[in-house]
Amino acid sequence: MVFAHGFGCDQNMWRLLAPAYSKRYRTVLFDLVGSGKSDLSAYDTVKYSTLQGYADDALEIVREFSQGPTIFVGHSVSAMIGVLANLQEPERFAAQIMVGPSPCYINDGDYVGGFTRRDIDSLLETLEGNYLGWSSNMAPAIMGAPDQPELSQELTNSFCRTDPEVAKQFARVTFLSDMRAQLTGLTTPTLIVQCNDDIIAPVTVGDYLHRQLPHSTLSVIHNVGHCPHLSSPGPVAAVLDAFLAKEGL
Amino acid sequence: MTAEDSEAESQSLLDEAPCGLMRTAADGTILRINRTFYNWLGLEPAALIGRRRFQDLLTVGGRIFHQTHWAPLLQMQSSISEVKLELIHADGSTIPVVFNAMRRKDQCVVVHDLAAFVARDRDKYERELILSRKKLEALVAEADRLQSDAKDRALFAEQMIGIVSHDLRNPMSSIQMGTHLLVQSDPSPNQQRILTRIRRAADRATHLIADLLDFTQARVGKGLTVVAEDIDLHALMGETVDELRTVYPGRKLKHRGLGQGPCRADPNRLEQLIGNLVSNAVAYGAPEKDVTVTSSLSADSFVVAVHNEGSPIPESSQAGLFLPMARGTDTSSSGGRSVGLGLFIVSEIAKAHGGLARVQSSLEQGTTFSVVIPRG
Repeated sequence: MVFAHGFGCDQNMWRLLAPAYSKRYRTVLFDLVGSGKSDLSAYDTVKYSTLQGYADDALEIVREFSQGPTIFVGHSVSAMIGVLANLQEPERFAAQIMVGPSPCYINDGDYVGGFTRRDIDSLLETLEGNYLGWSSNMAPAIMGAPDQPELSQELTNSFCRTDPEVAKQFARVTFLSDMRAQLTGLTTPTLIVQCNDDIIAPVTVGDYLHRQLPHSTLSVIHNVGHCPHLSSPGPVAAVLDAFLAKEGL
Repeated sequence: MTAEDSEAESQSLLDEAPCGLMRTAADGTILRINRTFYNWLGLEPAALIGRRRFQDLLTVGGRIFHQTHWAPLLQMQSSISEVKLELIHADGSTIPVVFNAMRRKDQCVVVHDLAAFVARDRDKYERELILSRKKLEALVAEADRLQSDAKDRALFAEQMIGIVSHDLRNPMSSIQMGTHLLVQSDPSPNQQRILTRIRRAADRATHLIADLLDFTQARVGKGLTVVAEDIDLHALMGETVDELRTVYPGRKLKHRGLGQGPCRADPNRLEQLIGNLVSNAVAYGAPEKDVTVTSSLSADSFVVAVHNEGSPIPESSQAGLFLPMARGTDTSSSGGRSVGLGLFIVSEIAKAHGGLARVQSSLEQGTTFSVVIPRG
C-alpha cells in the first residue's frame, strides 16, 4: 500500500491513517521530490513541469518496493499522479484510492472544477506574497503545541516547508493540470473519498469522477476541508475498509 | 472592583486591543470577533458570528493556501504564526494581514484562536523584495545568455580556424612543390632570387598553418597527438640547431648536450618545440648575444631549454605566457612570425609528453624557457 501526499505538506499527513494498515499491508510512505525531506538537488524544473515526472517517480517506488499488486493511496494531486502511473503499468495496481481528487481545478464549459484561472493566479501570488514567512529555510514559526507534546520539534518545523520556487512550480503544475481525457483509460478498481465541504475538490468534481471511472466507488464523508485523513481519520478508514473488503483486498 | 466591572474591563480590553482577535470553531465558523477585527473588514459582528467562516474572508488564493498549508499545520502542530494572507474588505478591497493562530480545547470542543495584524508596510517591503529579485533574475539570465553566446562564437571561431588551416595545407604544398621544380629548371639569377623569396615565404606560411592546426587540435580536439619513439636526444637537438642556423644566418646559435642515456619522445614535436622557442629567442633576445639550446638527460627526466639574453620578461606577464594569443610587449624586432601561438603549442607539446613548460627570466640571468619531461 503506497501513500502519496498532496500539494502543501509531506508524508506526515498520513500519520493518523497509515499506521492502521501496516499490519495487513506493507505500507510505503514517501515525499514527492521538492516536498518535505526529499532530496532538493533531485528537483529538476523540466522533469517536474508536468505530473508525468511525479508519476514516473511513483512508478519507480512501486517497482522497487511492491512485492504484489499495489493499492495506491493518493491525496489530492497525487490521486492523478496515481492515475498516470497506473495507465503506464496497469498490471502493478490492485486499486486506486483517491482522497479529495480533482482531474481539473479550473471551470471549463459545463465542467465545474471550482476555480477560475484568476483564482489560481491569486494562489500563486499568495505563495509569492508570503516571501518573508516562507522564504528558504524559514518555516512558519510555531508558538508551542501544549496539547501535543508527542509532536517532535523536528516534525513541527519542517513538514509543511517547501522551497518557495518549488512550491510555486508545483502549485502551477497541480492547479493547471487537466487529466480529464486520461480518466477513461483507468480500469483499476477505484475509491473516491469525497468530503461534503471541500473548496479544492468540491462534491461536483467527485460526482464527475464517479461518472467517468467505470470501476469506481464514491464515498462522501462528512468533513470540512481538504485533508480528511487528518481531520476525520476515522470516517476515512471506515470507507477505505469497506471498499477493500468489497474488492476482496 | 466587582466581578462585573472586571468582566467589562476584559471585554473592552479585547475589543479595543491593537490587533484583530477571533475565535472560530474547528471548521472555521466565527464564534467571537473583536471590534478591531470587524472594523477592518467593514462588517458588523452580526453578519459574521455564526454566519461566516474565517476562510470565507480570504482571497481565493488564500483559501487554497488555508486548505493546503494552514489547516494541516494547525491540525498537526496546534499553532502557527506569521502567516501572511489577504482579507477581503466589505468594499471588495484587500488587506494584507499577518496571522498567528492557536488550536485549543475549550471545554472539550476544539476552537481556533486567531490574532491578526495589518501588515501593509511588510507587504510593500515584500513586494519590493520580489520585484528586485525578479530584476536580478532577469539580469542573471541575460548575462548567462550573453556568456553562452560568446562561448558559442569562440568555439565556432576556433573550429573555423581549424577548417581553414587544414584546407590551406594543400595549396601551400603545391606552391612549395612548384618552387622546388622551378629551382631545378635552371632559372636566371633574378628568377633564382625571387624563387628563394617565394620559398621562404611559403615555409613561413606552412609553419603558421601548422601552428594554427595544432592550436585547434589542442583547444577543440583532444589535445596534441604525439608518437613517441626511442631517440638520441643530443643528436636530434644538434641537427635541429644546425637547420635553425640556416634559417637565422645572422645569429649565433649554440647547442650543449649534458648527461647520457636513452630517451623516448616524438622527434618531430621536439623539433617543432625547439623551433618555436628559438624563433622567440631570436625575436625578443639581445641580437648581438648567443642563443643557447641545451638538452640534458638525467635519471628521472630529460630537459630541453633555450636561453637568450636581453631585457627580461616582466614577472606579471610570465604566468600568462603559455596561454594562446599571449605575446611579449617588445615587438621592435621584425623577425618574429608569431601570432602568439608558439608558446601555447610548446606548452601543449610538453603536456602531451606528460611534462611541463616553464620560464625563468631576469636581467642578470637572461631568459630561459625549458621543458621538463619525466621518463615514462
